[in-house]
Amino acid sequence: MPTVLIIAARDDWPTDRVVKTLEERGATVFRMDAAEFPEEAGLSARIDDSHAWAGGVVTSHRALDLADVSACYFRAPNPFRFAEGMSDAERRFAAAQARAGFGGILTALDCRWVSHPSAMSRAEYKPYQLAAARECGLPIPPTLITNRADAVQAFAGDIPGPIICKPVASPVFIEGDQLKTVYTRVLTEDDLGDFTGIETTAHLFQAWVDKAYEVRLTMVGDRPFAAEVHSDTKAGYTDWRSDYKSLTYEPTKAPADVIEKVRALMRRLELRFGAFDFVVSPTGEWTFLEVNPCGQWDWIQHATGHPIAEGIADELLGVTE
Amino acid sequence: MHPISHPREAFPLAPEGGRTPYSSEQSSDANTRPWILRYAMLPDSQQAVALPPALYDEDRQISVGVDTDLLPYMQTHSPTIPDGNTTNPPPLDEGAKD
Repeated sequence: MPTVLIIAARDDWPTDRVVKTLEERGATVFRMDAAEFPEEAGLSARIDDSHAWAGGVVTSHRALDLADVSACYFRAPNPFRFAEGMSDAERRFAAAQARAGFGGILTALDCRWVSHPSAMSRAEYKPYQLAAARECGLPIPPTLITNRADAVQAFAGDIPGPIICKPVASPVFIEGDQLKTVYTRVLTEDDLGDFTGIETTAHLFQAWVDKAYEVRLTMVGDRPFAAEVHSDTKAGYTDWRSDYKSLTYEPTKAPADVIEKVRALMRRLELRFGAFDFVVSPTGEWTFLEVNPCGQWDWIQHATGHPIAEGIADELLGVTE
Repeated sequence: MHPISHPREAFPLAPEGGRTPYSSEQSSDANTRPWILRYAMLPDSQQAVALPPALYDEDRQISVGVDTDLLPYMQTHSPTIPDGNTTNPPPLDEGAKD
């Protein structure tokens, strides 16, 4: 029986919405988290000259025949969990074996992926996204990645307006028992006067793009779900993640030429889902900022009425408009 | 054909120790601290929405509420606001990588 395999954390509630939608449509769903392997899930698969990988995954509640997998939804699963008594060295060894064995079998499945894990992983790199977006014809902000102060000063001198800095990777970390985050910052003259510590790692700088508002464009397959994001505070205007309470959302439509280029970018990145961030200037130009292959979407669905969960279910079931 | 990549990249998982690994270590001095971290801040926890208690239902393959028929996903449509919780911070847009 055709089955949609979902690999996601158990507490990822937006995935619950996808499960419910699939089941309402009569689909068979097998959901698991990678954390269930190997202690709560068994895997066995064989391959030979005559047959592709054949076998399955068994948990205490259900069994999956790999041959039945018609589609797979991959959404930020947790790491494998191993027996308590393992040494650190044994756990690292076991984790590498599990990744190559369990992960290797699953990623070899020839089915509809939303999206394939290796494509998602590669697409998470902002420098790669920016290069691909540019090649697809999407306007991007002039960008510098460096660990050299003189390069930042030269970049700031070349850019006619303000420049911003933001993390190249995750903005969140924990130190001193406290969770901290780094938002986009418009740099001041004082900021540009002291670069102590810049040489310690890669830093990203961009030209500030004048904006009327931002757009979160959620792409599911070829279907666009666009939402204007407005903020009435300085913090939210600079980086909307820093002041969610100030935000209002409006469903909107992206210009046809932008959609065409975004679809080309999705093909280039081999993604079937992407949460894109755009700046829209006061004169209506759209500038690509980034795409999150595993971006959040549930709150956009709630705020705008866009049927994103339904779109993901359509994509997994091979339904086209 | 999908792009060839290192196995760690080909099957990305949340890092060992959770999506945001815990640390009690204090920041180092300015010479060794990444420059951008001078702008790090504690997120405004008042912006976060408290999540209702929930249990995972193995049969239904979704989370269910505790002492309520409402399913958790029907009660929360909030964006993933870092709430200062260091033991179970929410997932981020940026995905599974560190």
